[in-house]
Amino acid sequence: MEYILHIVIMLNIYILLVLSANLPVGLANLLSICQAAFYGIGAYFSAYFLMRFQLPFIAVALIVMTLTGLCSLVVSFAPVKLKGDYFVLATLAFQMIVFTVLYNWTDVTRGPYGIPGIPSVKLFGIMSISGIYGYFILTAVLSGSVILLFRKLKFSPYGRVLTAIRSDELSVSALGRNPVHFKTWAFFISAGFSGLAGLIYASYISYIDPTSFTLDESIFILTALFIGGIGNVKGPVLGALFVVVTPEILRFVGLPDAVAANLRQIIYGLTLVLIMYLRPQGLWGKITLK
Amino acid sequence: MILELQNITLNFSGSKDSFRILDGLNFSVEKGRITALIGGNGSGKTTLFNIISGFQEGFTGNILFNGKPLHALSPAKIAQRGIGRLFQGKPLFQDLNLLDNMKLASGDSSGESPFSYLINRKKIDAGEQEKERQAIDILNSLFGADNKYTKMLHNMGSEFSYGEQRLISLARLFMGNYSLLLLDEPTAGVNPVYINTIRQIILRMIADGKTTVLLIEHNMPFVRDIADRCAYLADGRIQHQGTPCEVLDNREVKNSYLGIL
Repeated sequence: MEYILHIVIMLNIYILLVLSANLPVGLANLLSICQAAFYGIGAYFSAYFLMRFQLPFIAVALIVMTLTGLCSLVVSFAPVKLKGDYFVLATLAFQMIVFTVLYNWTDVTRGPYGIPGIPSVKLFGIMSISGIYGYFILTAVLSGSVILLFRKLKFSPYGRVLTAIRSDELSVSALGRNPVHFKTWAFFISAGFSGLAGLIYASYISYIDPTSFTLDESIFILTALFIGGIGNVKGPVLGALFVVVTPEILRFVGLPDAVAANLRQIIYGLTLVLIMYLRPQGLWGKITLK
Repeated sequence: MILELQNITLNFSGSKDSFRILDGLNFSVEKGRITALIGGNGSGKTTLFNIISGFQEGFTGNILFNGKPLHALSPAKIAQRGIGRLFQGKPLFQDLNLLDNMKLASGDSSGESPFSYLINRKKIDAGEQEKERQAIDILNSLFGADNKYTKMLHNMGSEFSYGEQRLISLARLFMGNYSLLLLDEPTAGVNPVYINTIRQIILRMIADGKTTVLLIEHNMPFVRDIADRCAYLADGRIQHQGTPCEVLDNREVKNSYLGIL
């Protein structure tokens, strides 16, 4: 039972991450490959605030989301004005820089040794969320709320402008809206919610190290997004479900022990390729990748 | 004059040589009129529109809109100052429905911040309803009380034919508070019935006397029919201007652009 609850908790964390990535990638047409960097920044900020201060969960969440969002401005201020390939390269550079800093700034991050003993979050500053059941409820409530929030955002006037930017940025400018302004906010919000996922992860696992926030992790988040389908809310949720649950299901298909690990990777990879071939718009998407 | 272009020069740099697309161009547009800008392919008409609406950088010269300089403003700021644009060959936003396409063109962009919808939903909803009412009024007034478009408000942009998208793109401009509209080949690729509708829409645009239209066209009967003034652009400058008859009957225009010897 605890194993299943652990999978569901990780699924809820990935729902946050993939939905966050959907805002710049799926709506604002910004292919960001530094989502894991924001996830990591959020996790390390959380470790600091949880270990130093006895703040309630809401306060830590707001601080971490704001600080992580502010870190996104490092990327936004220069490259969001640029487009396409330049932006992708800028986010790649940011991802590499963040990983390098987390790995080598040992005085602050303890580098490859990681940070152990991160305390649980405390609701209202008193009641500590502990154990797998507590985190199951917390992450379920959070991911449900974030799904509703992103759905509202998608169908709000702001979501309308982002959707239009994806179709035709020039026409959006000609109608008096500044695409850079809207993209910057999209990237800020996305980074903030990735930071929130980092907070949940850090306090749930109680240990973080830089290898959880690598470029591979960013690509994993994007894979989930593209498999589920970009530009809507159901797609990212389904994508997160697919990438988190499929490898776990493959553990129980009775593969011979000697080759099980490799075969699982091959089957998983082939399934991804097949989905992209048969449903280039993703399992629940309407927009085909260009 | 609503728009004055003074000594506009622009070079395009190639791999070896630079090419002067506009060469000290001077041009003025009269307020409340329809002015047609004609010229051969590659003569710089669309580039001139790009310069006016802020999409083209690297030019020299001055642009005065209502007597105030436009230089160095972003395209969005220029649109907010009152210059609207219909692009050549750009249809509606494909992933938005007709109503959202109209709402996005509204001069009122309040409520489009990501947090405003969460903080003040009642006010935003009221604004959205007002925009919907305005969009329906515009569609009814342009296409008749029982028109098909008001029944297709929730159809996606991609579900309309190219000609219909052109009509709606023009109708969309009524949502903004524009005093100058730059229309780049509004009749290109559109059937004769729709061309007539486009003609009526453009005439409606200037009916209030406050809006001015500057349009690029290759459809000469349309230019003769609708334009008050006409300017011929060639070799980087306005070579001739006057009434459409004066310009289109000019010997040089006939020879070099219309191909009539």
